[in-house]
Amino acid sequence: MTMTEEQTMLWDTADRYLRENTDFNQRRDQIAEAIYNQPQKWQAFAEMGWLAMPFPESMDGLNFGLREIAILAELCGQYLVTEPLIDTLAVASTVLMRSERATALVPDVISGELIAIAAIDEPTAESRLSPSCTLSQTDSGWHLQGKKYWISAGASATHFVVLADSGNGLAWVLVAKNAEGLSCETFPTHDGKGGANCHFDLPINDDQILLMGDAAAEALAAFRECAMTLSSAETLGAAQAALDTTVDYTKQREQFGQPLASFQALQHRMANMLIQTETTRSLVYAACDAADRDSPDRGRFARAAKVKSAAVGRKVTQEAIQLHGGIATTDEYIVGHFFKRVTALETWVCSKGEALQEFMALDA
Amino acid sequence: MNASSPLPTDSDAFRAAVRDFLREALTPELIRAGERTTSVFSDFEAGRQWQSILHQRGWGAPDWPLEYGGTGWDIQQRYIFQEECRQANAPTPVMMGIQMLGPMLMHFGTPSQKERFLPGIISGSNVWCQGYSEPGSGSDLASLKTTAEHDGDDFIVNGTKIWTSMAHYSDWIFCLVRTDKTVKPQAGISFLLIDMATPGITVKPFTSLDGEVEQCQVFFEDVRVPTANLLGQENQGWTVAKSLLEFERGGQHFTIDLKKQLSKMQHMMSSETCRVTADPTFAYRVAETQIDVMALEQTELRIKGSLTAGDNPGALSSLVKVSGTELGQRCAELLIEAAGQSAIPWQSEVLAPSYEGSTAAASESVTTMAEYINSRATTIYGGTAEIQRSIIAKHVLGL
Repeated sequence: MTMTEEQTMLWDTADRYLRENTDFNQRRDQIAEAIYNQPQKWQAFAEMGWLAMPFPESMDGLNFGLREIAILAELCGQYLVTEPLIDTLAVASTVLMRSERATALVPDVISGELIAIAAIDEPTAESRLSPSCTLSQTDSGWHLQGKKYWISAGASATHFVVLADSGNGLAWVLVAKNAEGLSCETFPTHDGKGGANCHFDLPINDDQILLMGDAAAEALAAFRECAMTLSSAETLGAAQAALDTTVDYTKQREQFGQPLASFQALQHRMANMLIQTETTRSLVYAACDAADRDSPDRGRFARAAKVKSAAVGRKVTQEAIQLHGGIATTDEYIVGHFFKRVTALETWVCSKGEALQEFMALDA
Repeated sequence: MNASSPLPTDSDAFRAAVRDFLREALTPELIRAGERTTSVFSDFEAGRQWQSILHQRGWGAPDWPLEYGGTGWDIQQRYIFQEECRQANAPTPVMMGIQMLGPMLMHFGTPSQKERFLPGIISGSNVWCQGYSEPGSGSDLASLKTTAEHDGDDFIVNGTKIWTSMAHYSDWIFCLVRTDKTVKPQAGISFLLIDMATPGITVKPFTSLDGEVEQCQVFFEDVRVPTANLLGQENQGWTVAKSLLEFERGGQHFTIDLKKQLSKMQHMMSSETCRVTADPTFAYRVAETQIDVMALEQTELRIKGSLTAGDNPGALSSLVKVSGTELGQRCAELLIEAAGQSAIPWQSEVLAPSYEGSTAAASESVTTMAEYINSRATTIYGGTAEIQRSIIAKHVLGL
């Protein structure tokens, strides 16, 4: 599970950039002003090549695998990045990569100008796999109609990649956020990413239909699997950071004349947090490797990582709050923000419960 | 009355009378305040208004003895009353005066203190907050450093209190202060009643993790407090404090709130936004939680059945507090899973009782995330779950 030289370099560079450019109080102020994607930061992400990672060299991409993208996801968790990085990379490496029509868009994606976010959730639960949003043929082309709700990072999108039912299988449809016929309400979210609710009722031309039929279904499966692993990696980064913060705090905070960290009951709980975080780390990295080797086990590992990380992320960040005490219940202290982000990640694209059922079905 | 009926008919009649009252007294805005409550406290003004309505009806403090304005209801009736209020989405007023200080005044207060303070508490015209924790004294409460020194007929108070819920709305604060530094920590503490309007007091509110403001830090700089405001004997404050904490921990019916959470769960599971309808394991977990709530309900009734009005439940209150708060957290987790993606929006304005517009979250999930976030504080305030377990180990198990 050691990193290659290239991976280590990527980690170090990304870690240094995020450490130097992340300020917790600034983050809070920006969220309060509804800034979820800071333009200079996004530009820097593009310049460092992060947005080019999944694309092949022929498209001026870096041709990196999921393992490398997951390094960024893990650091996003650690540094509480609100920019739509994993959101766009998940779409880029699955839907856009499979679409010939998207080829023309790739330069804008790599430069950071086009921020494409997947819109899959609808009011009903089953809509994530079988949308009630419809793409229907008209005399002059197509028409997209329906709702997409609770789009995480939707506030930062320039475009939505909408999952629709074409009557002849699934379709992924690209819609600009400012398109006429799209009404989009953005809102703050508890994890600071900023979301959107959208109503689509607009004409669509052929160029906007990125994928249709079997190819669209394959892309949905790939997108979900990718999102499961990236959400697991981000959860891992947040859990590790919450654990580190807790260990530091309990060493400093004194009650009953001694540091909290000297109480055995609390030491054991932090030891459990470490055990859980490390075993999660193993599964997350294994899921990345299975995907990058295109192993027959890749779907199974992605679901295992999702289930494990969701449970561990929840437990570890809850414990982090509890071991801190009152200080962790204020918005002014960082540890609760790991908890809020991990909570949002639990349900992003695929919930723990959905992943668990799919895991059982794969093993049956 | 039919003697063979398992439940006395007058209990049904009592419930019906309470329901009639609630139907009449609860305005749509008060109900919205109740529905959109995400922590222990409802919207402050709505809570205050509701307390005044209850007081006018003579139901301002059902748990108090009759002589101080209580209702004279038996345990079952008091339970029914609270349950009906909760199910009808009545707002929850700031209860530190009624639930915590009131019983202490009755037990430790002088006749003139009772006469002076109890009427304002029950009517809701005087809102009280609790000055216990300090930045350096949380679980180790007895190490508190806020001092009160004699100066003629007054004490001069200096120091700071933290996690003081609703201090920014409060008229009075009851405070633990150090009056003797030469003895062991517990033996040098006194219990003082302080008017928040006294010069030298400043209040700094905190934004909680859910984005709302409930917690404050209170600073005291040469604050002059008459010695007549001492509750109990000087340097005997720890006895009052411990007794009060037992009321805080055991004085509420946790199962009433838990049953409300379970009924929200039922409602959510039947809505189209519910994310877990296809998951068979979810229903099992809900059922198991339901059984744990039943076990706690019977425990609460068993403990309360052995007490008479105004009595203190003792160390057993720790058992109830740990079970009640941890079960509440479990319910909040189940609700957040059922709401899934539909609970991610954070719209503070929606929580105002006057808000009638649409919401970005699903209508069933408007408060779900905030309730989940706030549930984490319940095992911290009023003595952490760790402290409660230590109390049980020491005082119940004798370890």
